[in-house]
Amino acid sequence: MKKNKTSQALAKLNLAALALTGVMQEAQAGRVEESYNFDFQYGNYVESSNRMKVDIFETAVSAPIGKSMTFAASAVRDVISGASPKYNRKDAKGNIVQTLSGASIFEQRDGVNSNLTYFFDNALLNFGGGFSQEQDYTSRFANTNLSFDFNKKLTTLNLGANVAFDVVEPSKANADCSKGVVTNEETGEIRGANCHKTSQQYLIGVSQILDKDSLLQLNMTVNYSEGYLSDPYKQVYFYNADNPLRLSDIQNDKRPRDKMQFAWLAQYVRHFEGLNNAALHADYRFSTDDWGINSHTTELSWHQPIGAGFQLIPRFRYYSQDSADFYAPVFYGTHKDYSAYSGDYRLAGFGALSGGFKIAKTFTELNKPIEQMKLQAGVEYYDHSAAYQLGNTNVGSFADFSYYLINASVNLKF
Amino acid sequence: MKLITLFLLITLTACTEVLPRQRGNLALPQMALTPDPLEFGLRQHTAFSKEAANGGYGGGGGGCGCN
Repeated sequence: MKKNKTSQALAKLNLAALALTGVMQEAQAGRVEESYNFDFQYGNYVESSNRMKVDIFETAVSAPIGKSMTFAASAVRDVISGASPKYNRKDAKGNIVQTLSGASIFEQRDGVNSNLTYFFDNALLNFGGGFSQEQDYTSRFANTNLSFDFNKKLTTLNLGANVAFDVVEPSKANADCSKGVVTNEETGEIRGANCHKTSQQYLIGVSQILDKDSLLQLNMTVNYSEGYLSDPYKQVYFYNADNPLRLSDIQNDKRPRDKMQFAWLAQYVRHFEGLNNAALHADYRFSTDDWGINSHTTELSWHQPIGAGFQLIPRFRYYSQDSADFYAPVFYGTHKDYSAYSGDYRLAGFGALSGGFKIAKTFTELNKPIEQMKLQAGVEYYDHSAAYQLGNTNVGSFADFSYYLINASVNLKF
Repeated sequence: MKLITLFLLITLTACTEVLPRQRGNLALPQMALTPDPLEFGLRQHTAFSKEAANGGYGGGGGGCGCN
């Protein structure tokens, strides 16, 4: 029985182990698609200085349909509270100070996602879609992925496409997107705005078995977004050009109405038999966009089995980005002097270091109908600092923050 | 596209042939490109909401009004 399962897993290796990432996560989760899977995950995200807190609850299922298909679905709820950076200003000495929104944010995000994967002899086709709903933000998306095996199943070509239609409905105070205002039908009072954004992402990638112990995946993605790309809850302070401490103008965040972004990713996975079948995962990603932001992301993780079904997984990540062309902590003159302007810390130049640790335990001696249970728990600490940026153009530490993310999950196979 | 063609040419000619029966190590769960898809999704979503970079890993999903 065990031998039979091993050979089945080997037979399905190519498309499963080399499946596209992203949407294909679900297909990959169903790599043993002769099993039914149930997953539950809890996450706890807490930012420093009493900023955002998020509790995340996520459930996922996958099930075989016949011998060639897998259906997967997931649902997530984020419960969000806290404060968020709203604008930067100058204090009496001229130092930049970041001002938060006040601890008034309380919202919930609910999302669902499903996909269907069909396995051919040398190919895999996947269709998926879903939506995500917040009080003031709705996103609907659809995607498809296609993978071809060739070269004696040592090489896999991956193609993917994703489209998302987002609607932002900011509150009255920030009703300035160009798509029109939303009014109360009875009173005629302006309630807010109805702003649209469309994003398309296309992927081409190659996965390659290098030898019996290592894999390499190379991806390129192109992402084009258009519509309302600004943040309706962020403001920009303008100071007098002749008197830099004198406030001259306050405006809502205004960004270009389109963005083109390219990203290249290399993922390398290496097996170490002499170290109890440990595995090294090394990722590097470079992205560039026409807003002027180049970024580098490096991530390393080590998956160490230690016996009795336990596995320890330490990880390290480094991220660095340049600032957008239209970013400044504060601006000088008036908004009429600029076509776009933002003080959002996410468009600033900065770097981030993060490190984490995870422990996993797999149980296999279980009563039917459960074949396997896997419990996992991890913690990650993330430190965002302007000083960590590559080629440091340090604009000051006013936007620095950190967070930790704890997660725990259970996976059951039937 | 040229890079991919070059990569294919190099890998197709230079890689060791690995027979199906020799792929046991590659089939281990820790050797999957994404060993924990649910956690991967959570971490990607978190990074997406705090950083300007997006893409590379591909895949789907919509935006969010992330703070």
